Amino acid sequence: MNRKLTFHLIGKVLQLSGLLMLLPLLVSLIYRSGDTSAILLAMLVTVASGSLLSLVQPTRDTLRAREGFIVVALSWVLVSFFGGLPFFFHGSIPSLVDCFFETVSGFTTTGATILTDVEALPRGLTFWRSFTHWGGGMGVLVLSLALIPKMGARSIHLMRAESPGPSTDKLVPRVSNNAKILYMIYVGLSLLMVITMLICGLDLFDALTHTFGAAGTGGFGVYGNSIAHFDSPVVETLVGIFMALFGVNFSLYYFLLRRNFKAALGNSEMRLYWAILLGSAVVIAIDIMPLASVGFYSIADNVKAGGNFFTALRYSFFQVSSVMTTTGYATADFNQWPQLSRVILVLLMFIGASAGSTGGGMKVIRLQLLIKGMVRDIRRTIHPKSVDTVKLDGHAVDENMLSGVQGFFFAYIFVLLAALLVVSRDGFSFETSFTAVLATLSNIGPGLGMVGPVGNFAAFSDVSKLVMSLCMLIGRLEVFPVLMLFAPDAWKH
Amino acid sequence: MNIIIIGNGKVGYTLAQFLVKDGHDITVVDNRPEALHRAGDTLDVMCVRGNGANVKVLMESGVENADIIIAVTGNDELNMVCCLAAKQLGAKYSIARIRDPEYTESLQLLQKKLDIDMVINPERAAAQEISRLMRFPFAINIETFAHGRVEMVEFRAESTDPILNTPLARLHSRYPHVQFTAIQRGNSYIIPDGASLILPGDRVYATGDRESVTHFFKQIGKDTERLKSALLIGGGHVSYYLSQIIGGMGVYLRLIEIRHDKCMALADKLDKVLVINADGTDQEVLESENIADCGALVCLTDRDEENLITGLYGVRRGVRKVIVKVDRINAMDVVGDMGIDCIVSPKLTTANVILRSVRALNNSRDSVVEKVYNLPGGAIEAYEFTALEGAPYLNIPLNQLRIRKGILVSLLVRDRKCIIPFGSDHIESGDTVLLIARAGTVVNLEDAFDIAEMKK
Repeated sequence: MNRKLTFHLIGKVLQLSGLLMLLPLLVSLIYRSGDTSAILLAMLVTVASGSLLSLVQPTRDTLRAREGFIVVALSWVLVSFFGGLPFFFHGSIPSLVDCFFETVSGFTTTGATILTDVEALPRGLTFWRSFTHWGGGMGVLVLSLALIPKMGARSIHLMRAESPGPSTDKLVPRVSNNAKILYMIYVGLSLLMVITMLICGLDLFDALTHTFGAAGTGGFGVYGNSIAHFDSPVVETLVGIFMALFGVNFSLYYFLLRRNFKAALGNSEMRLYWAILLGSAVVIAIDIMPLASVGFYSIADNVKAGGNFFTALRYSFFQVSSVMTTTGYATADFNQWPQLSRVILVLLMFIGASAGSTGGGMKVIRLQLLIKGMVRDIRRTIHPKSVDTVKLDGHAVDENMLSGVQGFFFAYIFVLLAALLVVSRDGFSFETSFTAVLATLSNIGPGLGMVGPVGNFAAFSDVSKLVMSLCMLIGRLEVFPVLMLFAPDAWKH
Repeated sequence: MNIIIIGNGKVGYTLAQFLVKDGHDITVVDNRPEALHRAGDTLDVMCVRGNGANVKVLMESGVENADIIIAVTGNDELNMVCCLAAKQLGAKYSIARIRDPEYTESLQLLQKKLDIDMVINPERAAAQEISRLMRFPFAINIETFAHGRVEMVEFRAESTDPILNTPLARLHSRYPHVQFTAIQRGNSYIIPDGASLILPGDRVYATGDRESVTHFFKQIGKDTERLKSALLIGGGHVSYYLSQIIGGMGVYLRLIEIRHDKCMALADKLDKVLVINADGTDQEVLESENIADCGALVCLTDRDEENLITGLYGVRRGVRKVIVKVDRINAMDVVGDMGIDCIVSPKLTTANVILRSVRALNNSRDSVVEKVYNLPGGAIEAYEFTALEGAPYLNIPLNQLRIRKGILVSLLVRDRKCIIPFGSDHIESGDTVLLIARAGTVVNLEDAFDIAEMKK
């Protein structure tokens, strides 16, 4: 392993993430929220550590796939650790494990929280907590690639390790330009959402923090009752639509901008994504119709009973969009919804958003490939000598990629079950333990039972919290980069 | 520039590697996923899988915005179709590799009708290179600049040479018409200044106009006698072109080829060559052709290993000039230590030729890049520029121009005359300037000078 280069690159990423703390520092100065010194101290520590690491001068700049994976995985662990320091220095989250959990949850865009009262957090820290979603959504490394010139000629390995989806295709020849294009689309869509929110009457702070949460598909709320705080059908619907938009593969927006409508609109993953999303919303809306008398268990401050199919659709669409894109905002306590709706939502947690989006989960494209592979295997059982390939959007899928997806699926389930075993030691119900692990692994945030939309993760033991932090990282980086850290071979020269 | 490379074999890969370093945006098209994986993993390029003649594949590669399309698949016909299709779809400049001798005769017609801007024939280029090497039997490498007027000859300094252990400044007064442009010592490359010394075993690059260089080698007592006979092993395209080129020069030429049908075809097409049907790697055969008396042994079979072993045998038997074709580019360093100096690689030659023209297309404000030559090993490059009107460095004596560290202004060519520049000389517009610099440091002629520093 090229240790020097690994350290150098991680140092650069840390420097950058330390500089990002300038934003919450600014917010804290504007609102005089009393957390300025904590943020400043954390920023100095982070930048200093990063600068120290980046002093290591690499002798060779050959970055192989394994170094790419290790740089990405270690960067995420370290960025999460340092990103948690502002909470620790301020004292609002006294335990380091909790700080780590909260920041991992932020950067991995999970949105699972150990805070029982988010509104008690000072504004600077609230802003930083939401901003970690935005930074982590598109990827800290991709941001570095866009901003730092010449991170080594083979930086494609960094991008591959960080970008979600079974294959990372370039849009333009240069990695750094790819990163820039993706970030430009990301910033553009985010700006659009901020403006929309401002028009809806939110103040700038709320508009920004909620956009960060939706754009990164993270889901940290600023208020105890999340988006329901605004209790406005318009805001809910728009946030629901924006979440869904951030769950689409960003390459497709690039094709749209390039007026390549065929590539953008004909993409089969995107079509399946919308079909699942809208279909689930309608089925759940029908399923929860009987709950009109209790206001669909809305978590708004003043729950109004009654409503027709469209009121049900309002709640079901928002919850479905939030869960499928793995955001985790909530407007209703879906934990109390009928069994069918709950099961559909749990299944959506598995599926997740599209490849190349900011969302988590297994990704729609993998579901597509798994099903197509299964259909082919059935066909092969009937016609043992048949020769056929799995096709996606008219292209034959590489057999390596197919077996890679199948391996990924198993690894995902394996990690889920292994983590479940550890977490179950805490003695909570199966529903709580299972969905807690699933919600962290798929980067959603809320699950069912105790960790439902109105609950939190505070009650878990430190061991469970660390395991779930690891789950979040494994889920965000798509299993193998993190698992690789545990392979002794990866560290050898 | 946006460049599409179709075919990611050895040539395509090498090209992509160098062009990315030059700062171009490269898209690589190939049918084989393994080839693409290699490019995608190690180079900052975009990979598109498919047939490069397919319109859909070309569109996907962004052909409408492409500045150059380079077709270097293994198939001549496919290369032509690729260029034709790409030009129709909006590519601005097309380069195709066409190597079958059957096409070379109708090349002009094909090129015009198919709208191919440049055709590169690696085998013929290699043959030309070999024929140049045969002119100076002691030379390892010969490169020409300024339309053949200037020659840069690489040779090995022997312990008996009169140029050793003398500062270059003094050598200069002794041999005023040649310039020592670079020295390779072991694995390191030196861009020399007046105080540098030449040590025995160094590989030295001497530059000057043709006559001066020939005169210089006579002066230091190098063997400049022309070769009278040559033995070619292997009857491929290179042998064919080489026989055509040197067959008329009064060289007694024998060609050994193992396959009978190939021998028949060669004997049909070539007049001044004795074609022998035998195994050229067999030492019995070589001895029966009296290899020790042979002026040059040129090994051109398809297999690198056979070429090298036969070449080594020739060196041991005391052949004056042994030239070996090696296509595996990364094997070059190892081979150099084995005692065979002259290595020709058609694939590397192709990449070099295309690289030059791409760089030449990428003209800059103050100068035109005519040629870039990558010295073996790749660490040092020789650049040929034409200085244009209005450039900031014109008409300033060189000792007042701040030349950046590690760059040597080697030669000027003005009105067809070769000038070895001294501090009092200056560059005029229209001059051809030959620069030596570390690879990748110079893009414009202006890069060689610290213009901002001068203005202070």
